[in-house]
Amino acid sequence: MKIALAGNPNCGKTTLFNNLTGMKQHVGNWPGKTVEKKEGLFKHKGKKIDVIDLPGTYSLTAYSIEEIVARDYIVEEKPDVVINIIDASNIERNLYLTVQLIELGANVILALNMNKYANKKGLKIDSEKLSQLLGIPVVMIEAIDETGKKALIDSIIQFNQKKSTNKLKYGNEIEEHLEQMTEMIKSEIDVRKPDWIALKLLEKDKQIIDKVSKLKNGKKVLFKAKQMQNHLDEIFGEDVDAAIADARYGFIAGLLKESVRKPSIDKMTRSENIDKVVTSKIFGIPLFLLAMYLLFQITFTVSAPIVDWIDRSIGSLAELSMGFLGSIGAPAWFISLVGDGIFGGVGSVLVFVPIIMIMFLIISLMEDSGYMARAAFIMDKVMHKIGLHGKAFIPFLLGFGCTVPSIMATRTLESKKDRIMTMLLSPMMSCGARLPVYVLFTAAFFVKNEAEIIFSIYVLGIIMAVIMGLIFKKFLFKGTSSPFVMELPPYRLPTLKGSLIHMWERGKLFMIKAGTVIFGAVLVIWFLSSIPFGVEYGSEASAVGMIGKVVAPVFEPLGFGNWQTSVSLFFGIIAKEVIVGSFGTLYGVGEEGLIPVLQEIFTPLSAYAFLALILIYTPCLVVLATIKRETNSWKWPAFTAVYLFALGWIVAFIIYQGGLLLGLG
Amino acid sequence: MMPLAMVQEGEIVSVHYVDCGMGLKRRLCDLGLYDNTKIKVVKNDISGPIIITVKDSKLVIGRGQANKILVEEVQE
Repeated sequence: MKIALAGNPNCGKTTLFNNLTGMKQHVGNWPGKTVEKKEGLFKHKGKKIDVIDLPGTYSLTAYSIEEIVARDYIVEEKPDVVINIIDASNIERNLYLTVQLIELGANVILALNMNKYANKKGLKIDSEKLSQLLGIPVVMIEAIDETGKKALIDSIIQFNQKKSTNKLKYGNEIEEHLEQMTEMIKSEIDVRKPDWIALKLLEKDKQIIDKVSKLKNGKKVLFKAKQMQNHLDEIFGEDVDAAIADARYGFIAGLLKESVRKPSIDKMTRSENIDKVVTSKIFGIPLFLLAMYLLFQITFTVSAPIVDWIDRSIGSLAELSMGFLGSIGAPAWFISLVGDGIFGGVGSVLVFVPIIMIMFLIISLMEDSGYMARAAFIMDKVMHKIGLHGKAFIPFLLGFGCTVPSIMATRTLESKKDRIMTMLLSPMMSCGARLPVYVLFTAAFFVKNEAEIIFSIYVLGIIMAVIMGLIFKKFLFKGTSSPFVMELPPYRLPTLKGSLIHMWERGKLFMIKAGTVIFGAVLVIWFLSSIPFGVEYGSEASAVGMIGKVVAPVFEPLGFGNWQTSVSLFFGIIAKEVIVGSFGTLYGVGEEGLIPVLQEIFTPLSAYAFLALILIYTPCLVVLATIKRETNSWKWPAFTAVYLFALGWIVAFIIYQGGLLLGLG
Repeated sequence: MMPLAMVQEGEIVSVHYVDCGMGLKRRLCDLGLYDNTKIKVVKNDISGPIIITVKDSKLVIGRGQANKILVEEVQE
């Protein structure tokens, strides 16, 4: 048996999904779309029930990819039951989707969620009456606990295929035309659900028009539909789709009049009182900054010991295995592959797993509590200047931890333009892996004002992102910025279970990436550092040494034209955290001995130019691979790699040559 | 009649006409905002987005969009 969960964002859909399936779930993408697909299953009396969590949507128009994904699934995969979860405290708006699910001919069960909140608001819902009026089963549940779970599962199992017979009335005028349209569709073209197609054609649904136009006789049907639209537009004096929406809301209003009792005066809720402070002009920004400070502080304090532990374990594991391989007489190249390549490379990435997981745990708690939406509201004014809106601040914020989750978080943005723009800019938010380079260089060159220098690099990143944002807005993504309309969900206590599952999923995704992309890349580095066989690992005579020497002149104008620096920059594209280590290897000194060596090959000016380059130039391979995954094309990762390299070079050039002109060299 | 962006905090108004492209119009409708809907302005600073209540939910609307929603005062 196959069931699907549908509902508005923030209605508790994912909570119910977690409640039903527990850890037995699989997260992937809808084929060809960057919309998350969650599948899971549970057993009931030996019967296996597959559950699909459809993306959260307000409607089933073709407004967003999420809506298209949801309705395509229902039309094409024909789930046995669609559970429509509804926030009972916001029942009127939520039923708009329900009505459309019924129109679509889905086998809908209505799951009324958050009845506690509804009761607190003074709403009295007569679920039996509602069920009778809608012609579908209605079950009262609380997704966060077991309330109503049994009744819901029973109604799923017992669901009989009898469709809802209560047809929605759109008014005589529209209905007449709908009937004609349906008849015409039945006789002219071969489609599933002709009555729904007729409705969608009258609504001028782009995706359906596209589909129909490709069918035999499709043009004829579209022509007729156009005629009807014009005729109806004239009658109503407004667009016919607006009239249809009116009819839906009218139907819902009638329904609620009979089944819901509402208090005449709206009580001032706790949510509203909190919002008074959180979104206020005076406290809004300080509270936001405090929240961000706590996010980073907690992430790094909590993860530091875990990171240390992983680092040490991998180190000793590497030594152990190298020792073991030595003792059984494995060839030297193999020992080097295991030690330098696999443990060195993959280990340096695994270290980031705890940081990413904890950061996502906290962010997920903030999101579920409802605060993130407020933060987006507060940041909107700032983000607006570069043509993005408030929501885009979340990916940028994550970028200071690691660019990979930042790219993954662009999914929360609705328009593709905003997503891509955010992906192009967020690598300039200096990630945690770049910090060790700053620390090493400031320790070598700017002992007196280390903190200020490091801070200036972070600020430089933000400034460059703003400048590039303005440039992209002007040349790459012309046209008006996408509209900013967002729901502010009521504050709610987040569930730890949901947040933990979310954290685990993110961590898993990252580990899979680290295990595949990085592993392959590490092998390539190791290979290039080792051939021709017999040379010292990563020495001047090795392939990387030779590449370094060829590339070095490119960096000459920036003040660091030696081959070792070029090689470490090359390694930095694999993963930023290997830069410091590779300096050590290339100069044949440990990380402790690096400072005197660096002081010989860099001047303070060229060191600062180098830090600027590290900040901006091509992000690591995992980031590029993530961009590929999120945009479904190689175009954007390629563009990101090239443009950031060029930008980094230009900025470093200006710093170095400008500094020389000013006599700072 | 005036754009929603000009309504004072705390006032209740009724939507007269949404003067924008089909996409945004539909989106607003999905969120419960269409002609004759009563809305309450919860937050309206001089710049930046505004917050309104529509039916039982709170929405943030960009100032640009709020300028395209024409509303009328509601007599109570």
